[in-house]
Amino acid sequence: MKRDLAKVRNIGISAHIDSGKTTLTERILYYTKRIHAIHEVKGKDGVGATMDSMELEKERGITIASAATYCEWNGHEVNIIDTPGHVDFTIEVERSLRVLDGAVLVLCSVGGVQSQSITVDQQMKRYHVPCIAFINKCDRSGANPVRVIEQLRSKLGHNAVALQMPIGLESDFQGVVDLIEMRAVYFEGAHGEELRYGEIPAALSGEAQRLREEMIDQASMYSDELTEAILEDREITPALVLAALRRGTLKRKLTPVVMGSAYKNKGVQKLLDAVTSLLPCPADVENTALNLDENEAPVILKSAPDEPVVALAFKLEDGPYGQLTYIRVYQGTIARGTTIVNVRSGKKIKVGRLARMHADQMEDIEVIPAGYIGALFGVECASGDTFVSPGLNLAMTSMYVPAPVISLAIVPKDNKAQINMSKALSRFTKEDPTFKCHVDEETNETIIAGMGELHLEVYVERMRREYGAEVSTGNPRVAYRETITRRADFNYIHKKQTGGAGQYGRIAGYIEPTAEGDFIFENKITGGAIPTQYIPACEKGFRQSLEKGPKLEFPITGIKVVINDGAYHAVDSSDMAFQAAARGAFRDAYLRARPVVHEPIMKVVVEAPTEFQGPVMGLLNQRRGMIVGAQDEGAMCIVEAQVPLAEMFGFSTVLRSATQGKAQFTMEFSLYRQVPAAIAEKIAEEIAARKKHAA
Amino acid sequence: MLKKDLISRSPLRQMGYEHDDIIPEGGFGAVLARAGVGKTALLVQFALNTMLRGKRVLHVSLQDPVQKVDVWYRELFHHLAVQYQVGQIRTLWEEILPLRFIMTFKVEGFSVPRLRERLNDLTEQGIFRPEAIIMDGLICDDGAEPVLREMKAMVEELGLRAWFTVHVHRQVKADEDGVPKPLLPADELFDVALLLVTEGNEMHIRDLKSSQIPSPRPVLILDPATMLIKESAAVAS
Repeated sequence: MKRDLAKVRNIGISAHIDSGKTTLTERILYYTKRIHAIHEVKGKDGVGATMDSMELEKERGITIASAATYCEWNGHEVNIIDTPGHVDFTIEVERSLRVLDGAVLVLCSVGGVQSQSITVDQQMKRYHVPCIAFINKCDRSGANPVRVIEQLRSKLGHNAVALQMPIGLESDFQGVVDLIEMRAVYFEGAHGEELRYGEIPAALSGEAQRLREEMIDQASMYSDELTEAILEDREITPALVLAALRRGTLKRKLTPVVMGSAYKNKGVQKLLDAVTSLLPCPADVENTALNLDENEAPVILKSAPDEPVVALAFKLEDGPYGQLTYIRVYQGTIARGTTIVNVRSGKKIKVGRLARMHADQMEDIEVIPAGYIGALFGVECASGDTFVSPGLNLAMTSMYVPAPVISLAIVPKDNKAQINMSKALSRFTKEDPTFKCHVDEETNETIIAGMGELHLEVYVERMRREYGAEVSTGNPRVAYRETITRRADFNYIHKKQTGGAGQYGRIAGYIEPTAEGDFIFENKITGGAIPTQYIPACEKGFRQSLEKGPKLEFPITGIKVVINDGAYHAVDSSDMAFQAAARGAFRDAYLRARPVVHEPIMKVVVEAPTEFQGPVMGLLNQRRGMIVGAQDEGAMCIVEAQVPLAEMFGFSTVLRSATQGKAQFTMEFSLYRQVPAAIAEKIAEEIAARKKHAA
Repeated sequence: MLKKDLISRSPLRQMGYEHDDIIPEGGFGAVLARAGVGKTALLVQFALNTMLRGKRVLHVSLQDPVQKVDVWYRELFHHLAVQYQVGQIRTLWEEILPLRFIMTFKVEGFSVPRLRERLNDLTEQGIFRPEAIIMDGLICDDGAEPVLREMKAMVEELGLRAWFTVHVHRQVKADEDGVPKPLLPADELFDVALLLVTEGNEMHIRDLKSSQIPSPRPVLILDPATMLIKESAAVAS
């Protein structure tokens, strides 16, 4: 393993669905000689692309898990994380971005900046990941890299700077003009592996000169040396330009743009050159951890191999040799035989086998120094756990994990399936923090919950394929919530004095809506009306009431409880009695506080040919959607709407049939909003029917 | 402070107009300024006020994507609500949000028949029927007259009130009366024209046309930080 940190690149490849990320990664592995044959994503040859290691991914032509892999280019070691493109799996994307130093944003030269690219870009911004853009599919009909660069500027606000220009487009796409070296580059040989350099075609030289000047002008903002060279009319060397471009890129002030067609084996090597020369090495990036001893004060980590270890487990995978934990080491060195501590559980672990991954193949290694990505074997942990040297108490920044918005009941077909299902669920919940599961106490059903229909579907499918667990699924259920809309007072006496020890407690006060949190409890009792030792019992009683609302049995949020009076009995009062009194008081006041049901609202973005704009808006409108706006993009239009999740089931089928399959959509959770009265009634009826059925 | 108080703080009322609808049905209003002075911000304030009064606004932008326009509305509404200490900001926002529809076009792809077609998509399906229209980014140069006349016909037919942003290319003196040149080709179509000018660190709003405001006309100042009209308006002679 190489130890020169300046020659390490940890990069991610992120983009919209079908922009060709997996194909691009496949080509990168081929040119860096990690693989010796090229396979297509859709698996026409029955092998499938190397990065899509899960069977299911091969079948559907999508990437689900971000397989980590590494390769070498020009003496640099490049670790690549292939990230999923569908919004349902954004936790994977976010996790990858957390451990990466730089990213390649793949854009389709026809589709341009699409909705998912916007989401991914926002995530990159959140984690300050510098990126370069690769405009793919320049061979497709309708390819227009200039328009994509313009969209990078207008839609994403990037200061996009073209480092290349295409030679021919669509079926005539031959190669690119390298604006730094000012020469034409052609990709020849059976798989484009031979680079031939030539003169810039005369017809393009004027435009190339103009674009080069534009590029140098932008780059000079980040280099005094370059500015001086321009002013003094000295020779502008490629090294000078690259250094300036790199500086701008690292600050996220500039996004270099390269282009090509991965499928047609064009432009990939130049992209690799750009990755190694423009994206940051681990030492260029400042990483911080939280010091748990000092109230989570941020600590800057030193990217040095001889410091104490700080590492993050960012992905778990269940392989034939047990649990495989992908880690990124931020500080120190993890070597075989050293002892590290899992900060969350406090457990000490002796490091056994270490490996670095190449999709589903691996290579054993001795050490993982700071800045590197590798994998541990047989370590019990959850993804997102931090590992440190004994004595340290640092945690890597906790990642934002959204709460699930949809759930599904699953029933195993037989006993064997039951056992396998449990194994699968325990693995999936560890791998993916947005995937939750629990057993419904009333119906005894196993409920899985996640971020969208497809998210859950894929897990059910994986249970079947990887674990042989045949399960049948119920209808998806939306995660509704209850809240109140006005203040209501309560004054409740809980009294039970018939036989045995008595129970007595009186609680008075009020409940009111609050936007400051899910639950706020305030004790305003004076004069010992309720003795202090019973106050926690009161709070506990109210808290218990929140789990299931008296109205429709959904969890209650956004409520403030204030108690200001009460009474106790010297003998009969107890914790139990006050808990019961609190529950009674809550039930009593809740229905008078005008309870309402809230439902998850999704941000839905539909991209369709302009002629289908009317029907698409109609479809969204029928689904209680509120259309935020419609963007006319020439041949295509983008309709953005807020639609209740409950109305989105089966939307993809309806959308396909209404638009001859020409539209696509993405959906992500946006906010919770009150359910209209008529719908609330319907929900109540459904719940009553379900209860009756369960009984 | 309640919603009705927020309505009474309407930018137009602060400018001395008695009513919020200073342009008649089928009428045109224009906000003129150089680039970056705050045309969009002022029109979004007009739109928010219209929405607060329960009327539907169609915002047509030829320069920004939907998300960016949405951010304008969110930010300005938030600033307004904070400035006038309105409670229950979120509820109020949720209440007025369905009264807005954003449509964006590329400058080269925009035409009135196309807008009309899109509008029909909305009205025929009962999705949205606007009462006011904000046109942001339409180039009002010498060649714009046919487009403006087509717009006028549409706006009159549908009984809308339309506001336009007009980019002024040259420095227009603050005290110069009359409509700046770029608007001239279809000057008679406009009922109201407001000019935004920078004077030192302040932005002033001048009414160029209307006779509704008694003289001396108030000079309103836009706060450059929030793009809201400042409460204390100086009075010019």
